[in-house]
Amino acid sequence: MSRNWLIDNQGLFFMAPAMILFVVFVLYPIFYIFNASMYDWDGINEATYVGLQNYSEMFTDDRVFAVSIRNSVYWTFLTIFPQMFLGFILAYILTSGVPLQNVFRIIFFMPAIVSPVVLGIVWQRIYAPFGGLLADLGREIGAMFLIQPYIADPKIAIFSTIFVNVWQWTGFSMLMYVAGLQGLSQEVLSAAEVDGAGTRQRIQYIILPMLRHVHLTLILLGVIGTLQTFALVFMLTKGGPNHASEMLPTYIFQKAFTLQSMGYASAVAVVLLLIALSASIFQVRVLGSRFTIGS
Amino acid sequence: MTRRQAGKTLAFVFVTVLALIWLVPIIMMLVVSFMPPDQRAPRFGGLLISGVSLRNYVIVFEDAEIMKHFINSAAVTIPSVALVVIISSLAAFALARLKFLARDIWFYLLIMTLMLPIPTLVVPIFQINKALGLNDNYLGLILPYTALGVPFAIVILRSFFANFPIEIEEAARLDGCTRFGIYWRIMMPVSWPAVAVVIIWQFMTSWNEFILALVTMNSVDVKPLTLVPLVYSGQFMMRPGPMFAILTLITLPVIVVYYLMQRFMVSGLTAGAVRG
Repeated sequence: MSRNWLIDNQGLFFMAPAMILFVVFVLYPIFYIFNASMYDWDGINEATYVGLQNYSEMFTDDRVFAVSIRNSVYWTFLTIFPQMFLGFILAYILTSGVPLQNVFRIIFFMPAIVSPVVLGIVWQRIYAPFGGLLADLGREIGAMFLIQPYIADPKIAIFSTIFVNVWQWTGFSMLMYVAGLQGLSQEVLSAAEVDGAGTRQRIQYIILPMLRHVHLTLILLGVIGTLQTFALVFMLTKGGPNHASEMLPTYIFQKAFTLQSMGYASAVAVVLLLIALSASIFQVRVLGSRFTIGS
Repeated sequence: MTRRQAGKTLAFVFVTVLALIWLVPIIMMLVVSFMPPDQRAPRFGGLLISGVSLRNYVIVFEDAEIMKHFINSAAVTIPSVALVVIISSLAAFALARLKFLARDIWFYLLIMTLMLPIPTLVVPIFQINKALGLNDNYLGLILPYTALGVPFAIVILRSFFANFPIEIEEAARLDGCTRFGIYWRIMMPVSWPAVAVVIIWQFMTSWNEFILALVTMNSVDVKPLTLVPLVYSGQFMMRPGPMFAILTLITLPVIVVYYLMQRFMVSGLTAGAVRG
């Protein structure tokens, strides 16, 4: 290896710390879960090789896994699109020069920076049937429909959890749209105005299409966010009642660290990894999504 | 003109009402934390309290040793933010401005990390830490947080560095500046909007991270703040006051950091969009 080669490739020195961390904490763990998924293993004692048995059990005889997949589908559609819709409306208003627009932006974004652990506990008190905010409010003003077993009823627990998630992340969508709107060409917009395009026409035919890269980024980040949802579910419902609000990450955690099935948990992790990678690669390669609205 | 004015007023009323509703859970967290200890059952989830008391905070500092957990969170978060800034800016500089072996492959591999749900890595990272003796050790969180934070930081910084005028770099090279000098003395000082975004983002993710902390930190002495509600959920089960004081104390630092740096957030996010 000549001195010249090293000088030509000195970028490798700049890259080295990032590469080492990547290999140890990302690449190796990926190989690890593929390997561990083929064993029956409690994490402590000798592992027994079982081939693909964990996978066949998962896909044929595992109700909780099926529920987690169904909940992920609900979560994907019921968070991403409401967040984008409301986030865009807020961003549009908060870039139009209303008073206090910076204050409003901070308020709407604030839930996104608060730990889901904190939010899970606070929302338990909002949803609580006795002394909870919604139930007490319902009794006070006679709106009995507000008194619901929000997180105690298996049929609605997942939707109550999704609602909190939408509340938490709408401000992030707003901020991305604010950044996108500020990057739009003012000439195009004023040209449209001169040509007599009304507000609705400008939004529908000019602004929304020009923000295509923001929409795609939000969908990409929304799918990844859905697939790694853990803390909010863990704190708010523990995946219950009776696994009704289980998501794949909470299921992996439970299998690995509560039920000591490291092998089976790794198999679920492999499935989650493949779903995440194929969904993301599809979006990046086919739709042209990016991870930031710039670059 | 008047129709536009009316539309603006309507929009203002809409965002004001929505913002007030939006804030309810945050206000609730604050209000319950100031609830007098003799009030047993708060009504309206705690929005109405019978008086204001700092007693819950006293309880929390005495019984829950909250300072210890605060220091634990800082001891994990601050090194991970510093490491992410250094490691990702070095890598982003190389990816944006230098040519080297398999450059694009490395970039795509690093980007792939952004697509990985962290819970898929929790079993192997637990086992790696166990093998390295890093469970119950700050490094057992600092290293994975850094590894998982570097890729997003690279994406932000790389686009920023790529837009830096080549003429200035060439002029510096003619004056005998090394590659490292260009990175350290020319690029980094002008890249603070992008670095600010990286700092905010990494601070929030490290401070709030939960699942890896949950499996890595078993001893109460080293648990960061995010795990504290679980530790005391039994003890404070029937006493929402102290619990909500803990929640407020967990939240305060991220709000302060965000508030101090939020003006960079939009400009940092937009910088790439405008030029790229």
